[in-house]
Amino acid sequence: MLSVREQERYRRQVLLFGEEGQERLKNARIFIAGAGGLGCPIALYLAVAGIGTITIADKDVVEQTNLNRQILHYDRDIGRKKTVSAEEKLREANPDIRVDAIDTTIDAGNVSRLVGRSDGIVDAMDNYSTRYMLNETAIAKKIPLFHGAIRGLHGQATTIIPGETACLACIFPHAPPQEVFPVIGVTPGFIGMVQATEVIKYLTGQGNLLTNRLLIWDGMESRAEELSVERNPACSACCRGGKTTPGEKIR
Amino acid sequence: MTATIRFFARFRELLGTDIQAPVEAGATLTGLVRRIAKQNSEGYEAIFDESGNFREFVIIMKNGKRIERGAAGITLVSDNDEIAVFPPVAGG
Repeated sequence: MLSVREQERYRRQVLLFGEEGQERLKNARIFIAGAGGLGCPIALYLAVAGIGTITIADKDVVEQTNLNRQILHYDRDIGRKKTVSAEEKLREANPDIRVDAIDTTIDAGNVSRLVGRSDGIVDAMDNYSTRYMLNETAIAKKIPLFHGAIRGLHGQATTIIPGETACLACIFPHAPPQEVFPVIGVTPGFIGMVQATEVIKYLTGQGNLLTNRLLIWDGMESRAEELSVERNPACSACCRGGKTTPGEKIR
Repeated sequence: MTATIRFFARFRELLGTDIQAPVEAGATLTGLVRRIAKQNSEGYEAIFDESGNFREFVIIMKNGKRIERGAAGITLVSDNDEIAVFPPVAGG
């Protein structure tokens, strides 16, 4: 049941998906991997939307160079753990939700436990090795993965429903080279909003998800396009054409 | 015969996009993109390895259909084909 305060807080979005939809958000648990450029706006908007339990994991300390885009961290937070900073702001933004901020490096040994009984995983990472781990965890737990990535004024996003849609390894079997990427806050803001919108749609059962489609945003041209993607029968992560059965690597 | 080559993200910054390229009979997808990419050495090196093959992370599509990197060298390009060359971005 929504409290009187919650009914008031969410009144304008209850117009969109009813109290039942809001209850679904309240009962949901979402795991956000990363409290950086993507993770900050995603966590903030999911918090104010009333996602009942948000778990956010990050290993880093706030640095001055983060502040052009990582909008949960302020100048006064430089030197503090990102998890501490993020948790503080999210609690202030919405005291009616639960926030678990975990200061750790996501690795193969802890990823399954970190995700726990979450209803979905949000990919707000900055590297593909962790992304592939999140993908395998999503497959093993049969929960969606909401992917996003950015560089400069360019971004991409897709939603993965294990067993039904192309997975991250079907779409990107090989990681691009690592680099110190250029970025301005509006790009992870934009892509993060696509991801957060997908989470809310998934949880409330509304609309058409961004599945089997890779959304590509070119901020320089102000153009959004789509590439159609499909499951790869030889995918090593989600299909039996690979060497392992689905989710075998991580449980 | 002409084909349209669409580059995305970093490749677009280096090489432009929606390039109308004349296509000779028997031209392969790899050969055509190589020829266009050579207009900018940084763009070429971003897309192709030392052997002139697509780098393994590059996503190639012809008329909306994924073409495996290994097959791009034997995939022929026809009139009005649309080729998309896309590098996944990695940042967060």
